[in-house]
This record gives sequence, structure tokens and C-alpha cells, in this order.
Amino acid sequence: MANGATMCLAVSLSPEAAPSDPPDAGLDFSQLTRFVQEAEAAGLDMVLLGDSAPVAGGLNRQMRFEATTLVAALATVTSRIGLVAAASTVAHQPYNLARRFASLDIISHGRAGWNASMMPDPREAANFSRPEGFSGDDFRLRAEEFIGIVQGLWKGWDADALLFDKFGGRFFDPEKMHLLDHKGEYFSVRGPLNVARSPQDTPVLVMSGLSEPAMAIAARTADVVLLDEPSIEPAKAGDLKRRALAFGRRPEALKVLMNVTVSAAITAAPDLFADRLEECFRSKACDGFNIAMPFTSALDDFIGLVLPELRRRGLVQSGYSAATLRAHLGLAGEDRQ
Amino acid sequence: MNAGRGQMKLGAFLWATGHHIAAWRHPQAHVTAGIDIDHYIQLARTAEAAKFDMIFCEDAAGVREANVNIASQTSRSIGFEPISLLAALAVQTELIGLVSTASTSYNEPYGLARTFLSLDHLSGGRAGWNLVTSASQIEAANFGSTGLRPHADRYERAREFAAVVAGLWRGQGGYEDRSFSVRDPLDLPRSPQGAPVMVQAGASDEGRDLAARTADVVFTAAQTFEEAKAFYDDLKGRLAAHGRKPDDIKIMPGVAPVVAASEAEARAKHDELQELIPDDVGVALLSSYLSISDLSRYPIDGPLPQLPASEGMQSRQALVIEQSRRDNLSIRQLARHFAGARGHWRVVGTPAQIADELEARFEGGAADGFNVMPSYFPGELDAFATLVVPELQRRGLFRTDYEGSTLRDHLGLKRPA
Repeated sequence: MANGATMCLAVSLSPEAAPSDPPDAGLDFSQLTRFVQEAEAAGLDMVLLGDSAPVAGGLNRQMRFEATTLVAALATVTSRIGLVAAASTVAHQPYNLARRFASLDIISHGRAGWNASMMPDPREAANFSRPEGFSGDDFRLRAEEFIGIVQGLWKGWDADALLFDKFGGRFFDPEKMHLLDHKGEYFSVRGPLNVARSPQDTPVLVMSGLSEPAMAIAARTADVVLLDEPSIEPAKAGDLKRRALAFGRRPEALKVLMNVTVSAAITAAPDLFADRLEECFRSKACDGFNIAMPFTSALDDFIGLVLPELRRRGLVQSGYSAATLRAHLGLAGEDRQ
Repeated sequence: MNAGRGQMKLGAFLWATGHHIAAWRHPQAHVTAGIDIDHYIQLARTAEAAKFDMIFCEDAAGVREANVNIASQTSRSIGFEPISLLAALAVQTELIGLVSTASTSYNEPYGLARTFLSLDHLSGGRAGWNLVTSASQIEAANFGSTGLRPHADRYERAREFAAVVAGLWRGQGGYEDRSFSVRDPLDLPRSPQGAPVMVQAGASDEGRDLAARTADVVFTAAQTFEEAKAFYDDLKGRLAAHGRKPDDIKIMPGVAPVVAASEAEARAKHDELQELIPDDVGVALLSSYLSISDLSRYPIDGPLPQLPASEGMQSRQALVIEQSRRDNLSIRQLARHFAGARGHWRVVGTPAQIADELEARFEGGAADGFNVMPSYFPGELDAFATLVVPELQRRGLFRTDYEGSTLRDHLGLKRPA
């Protein structure tokens, strides 16, 4: 159980961080499987899978897979590691998205998470019948309502709602199914979801791309927040936790992870990289890290060189002590009512 | 070997605990199917070992029954979301096709095209999309407050939607029409089978017209040979107007088989399931298929009342009404009959009897194949795979091995340019 003494560790692939054309563009499923299985063998908490909507003005990465379908497939070839897919609030309807992730969570036996970006992508709006795009406020307010609906739908069925009583003819207990009946500014969603309750209560909500106004949404709703390195200072994480407290949550119920890109330098000085992570973690600037890999082989270096050093210093747990992503992150039984 | 129309196509239609409404109560039904991925992996492997062309999943973006007391007596309110389910099955199987239903009313073409293309890459070219326009008020209430769109509007949107998706799968972008705007081509590489297979299930006039333009496979419901033949001839006849040949589309009606070694055992098996249907569940299910809120206010042993035209499933409604008149059925009888097979063709008998029935429709030019709807899982899929499939193979009516590696290969469909 993570209790503040050990750091949360996520890894992700970010070919756009590669210095030139990424060597891994168009990774096939077996290569991605090897990457995730290697992270699992090392006992890392989760893999974050980006969605390939190209960054405005950037190279098209030509990933072959959409992230939620990729997570479904990866769930069948792994057993412990958390699997988090990015999915846009512009590309999906809240009911469909809630349903997809609820289903991923059952397929993975409680290891799924949704990475919701709070950064609008104008290119995406243009492909989803919104050529006019969104104003900043509009996107954020809509996303906030969207996230609330998704989290509400995830709680539509009580954990003990399904009875499976063949003889009595009672499949579920009607008292334990709840309509959402949401009517808001942007959406109207009756519910309930047609997927059973998550094995980990609800899928883990990861939030990224946070502007200052979006911080309040994260403090209220997120399980995990990803912050970029340059913006990280102890005050930021502390501020998020204070705000979470103000929303009636325990500070431990919100994990702040810092995005760190692995560079070629770690092979030269793994100790210095470990020092940097340790200093950041001990100063309470974050609860852990999302280590971004520009190419798959960078994972070998991180696991082979840096992870043993972090373990030696007692900063990282060895292996999994539980079954769900929420438990890996020390979020099980936190403030979800 | 048969010297007639070659070999039939077969789909394994996986749904909840089974297609029979009371399937979940059967002693041998896997009651936790909706939360057990390993169960589905096993079903997929069974279907693949029997050389089925594809697995077929239907879908609704909402629970199936608004009355929670009725719903709680069935297993259909919870289950896997089919695209994530098929993505998981894609990497746990090697050859069988993977087809999921998705609605044109509650998706955007760019997202849907991209998701199915991803499934196609994960499976090495075995994905297909079954287009539906969604006729239920329950679904509509999960997507805004405006309610269900009228039938004609839904099909207008579906026509545009299908055209945009087909273009995106061919690598095109840049659409601006009444319902949608899409600026870019998809950011994924081209499909391993040229494009995912397009399936369609609507049987109304608009549905048939749309199928004739865009579908590779049509899934339909037909009780009698004559109905099946009339639909088949009508749809194949519409293809020429769109520059297509009769063979460009495979028509696969649903069949709900109940099979056992002897006819008496098969009948007993069917009766056992029918006995498990509570009257209120049967009547509610019939009401929802007829888009009538409450058939329970009519005498259960009396005839079906006169019904107004519905904005829901027009073709399905016509089928139910026709059957009730033809067979002079009471509401209770009709409800039980429909609850069992949901308006699809039910065949109860020995492997040879079932093969005879399928052969007659196939050789008689009323079907190119069948979407098999086992009454409960896994038992009745196993029974079809181990009893009926070998009989069809012995008669030369079904393949003994896959001809290729993609769903288009299995179905004998052209690769789109």
C-alpha cells in the first residue's frame, strides 16, 4: 500500500518527444505488448496510452490504434498493471465514453483509467462537426459537465446490485440501480449505464493539460493529476491538495504525478536522474512520476538503471500487493462515496 | 458436394446470456456472462474452431427495458460495450471476423470510422460495422433532451454518415454536408482488408435503400421462406441501380436454432426455456418491439389490438402484426413466441432437420447465409458448432477451413479500391 513513502510510477510512450522522426511510429500490437509487459514485470503502477490525434502543427505519429481499443486488447495480455487511455471530450458523447471505460474496467478486472485532457484541440473539433471550435471557457465548462456525468454514470449500479438468482427470477435488485437524470447546460443524460459496477469502484480518472481554472475541476474530481515539469513547484501540488480538502476530500485521494521525459542522459548518469526524482518527491512537489519514453527501448534503460536505484533508496515498492489500479495508486477506499 | 450455390456464410450472434429472454435462468446458462471476459473469449474460440465467418454483437446505448421491475427479471440491462469486447477478442482469436453494431444517431463519423479501423488493425483485417439508426426512446434519453428523431430523419443522417465513413476508410477527408463536417483524413494507416466490412440491419424501405447503396452484409429477420425470399429478391434487385452486382451483398437472416440428438429432446429443451418466461416479461418485451408503452392493459388471452404506426422499428412491427393475424395468436401466445426468438426464425429439431431447413432457404435463393442466435450460452453455441456445423460440412454447404485471413476473404467480398 502506497502511504506517501513510496512514489507512484507511470510510463507512457511519447514519440513526439523524440529528437527526429520517431523510430517507433506505427508500432504493431506485439511491440506494444512487449512494452507493457516489461513495465508490468517491473511492477510499475500504470501505462498511459495517448490517443493519436496529431498535435497541431506537429508530425502525424501514425499510431495504428485508437487508445480505448488498444487498452481492451492489452488488458487480455496483462494481469496486474494499470492501463489508462486518453479519450477526448470532443470526440465522444459522455454516455458512450462512460460505457467504454466501464467495460474496459471489467475486461481488465479493475485496472482501467481515463485520461481526460483539459486542453482543447482545434483540429479535433474540425473533424467532429464543430468547425467553429470552442471558446476556452466553453470547452472547459463543457468538459467539467462531461466529467461529472461520466463519474455519475459509473456509480449507477451498486456493487451488490447483481443477484444472479435463477430460481427466484431476480437478476438484479431494482433498488440498487440508479438513474442519473442529468439535465445541464451542455448535456442531458438519463442513465443508467448498461455496464455493471467497476471492480475497483470506478475507473481511475486522470486529468492532464490543466490550465489554472481547470485546477479547481481537478481538485474536485480527479484521482490523478498530471503536471508538466516546468510548472512543477511544491506550491502547486500543495495547492491542489488544499483545494481537494476544501471540496471535502482527503489530500491522499488526489495523486499528483509529474511528467518527466527520459533522455539519452540517463544511461550516462542514472544516479543523477534518481536524485532528481527523489528530490522532487521528498520536497512534496508530487506523489510520483509519469515517465515519458520517446521510444520503447528507453523503458529498458529506466527499468535496468534507474528503478533499481529508486528501490535501493526505498522510494518504490517492489511488485504489486493488490489487484486493481486504484489499489496500486493507494486510492482504494479513499474519498469515493 | 452440393452443385448449387456454393457455401453458406455463418455468423455467431453473441448476446448476453443467450437470445432467449429467459436464457439466464436456464440451469446450464452462464449467468455471469455480462461481467466475465473469459466466457466471451471461450465463445469466440468455439465459433472460430467451427469456422464461423464472424462473431456478431448487437448494441444499444442504454438499458433495454424502461420498467425496472421487468428489467430486473432479465439479464439484458448489463453487459460489455461491444467495441471494447471485440478489441479484447481480436487479440485472443486469429481468423474469425468481428462485427459490432454502432449507431449513426449517437456517434460522429470520424470517431466511429477511426475506432472500427483501429479494431481492424488489432485483428489484422477482421472488423465490420453494423450500422443501425437506433429506434429506442431509452437510448435517445441518454443523448440530449430532444427525443427520438423521426424515422426518415434518422435515415437521412445515416445515409450521410455511411458515406462519410466509407470515404474516411478510403483515405479521404474534407466533408461538409447537412449533418457532419470532417476536415482531415483519418490519422491511422489504411485497413488490412481495404476497409472494414459494412453490415446493415434495417429492413424498412429506407433501410433497404441504404443497404443497397453501402452494405456488404445485411442482417434481417424473416419467419417464413416466402418472407425471406421476398426480402432477398427485393434487396438484390435494388443493387443494379447503384452499379452493384447481386453478389456484392450477402444477405444473412437470423436463425434461432434449438438442436438436440432427437426431435423430442429438442422440443423438450425449447419447452423448458419457454416455461421460464414470466408473463409480465413476455408482454413487456412484445410491447417494446411494437413501440407501444403498455400492452398489459389489454386482456392477455385476447388478440393484439389495432396499433398506430410507430416511429420506431417499422419493419419489425409489421412482422409481429402479420404473424399474430396469420396464426391467430393471443397476446400471451405471441408474447411467449416473440420473447423466445425476438421475431427471428426459430428452428427446433435434430442436426439433420436444422441442416435441411437452412439448406432449403439457402438453395432456394432466400439467404446467402445465416446469423445464428443460440438460445443460451455456452451450451447452445456448442451444440450448433458440434452437431449442425459438421452436418452442413458433410453436405458441402459450409467450409471446413478458412479460405483466407480477413473477414472480406471469408465472405468473398471485393476489396474496395
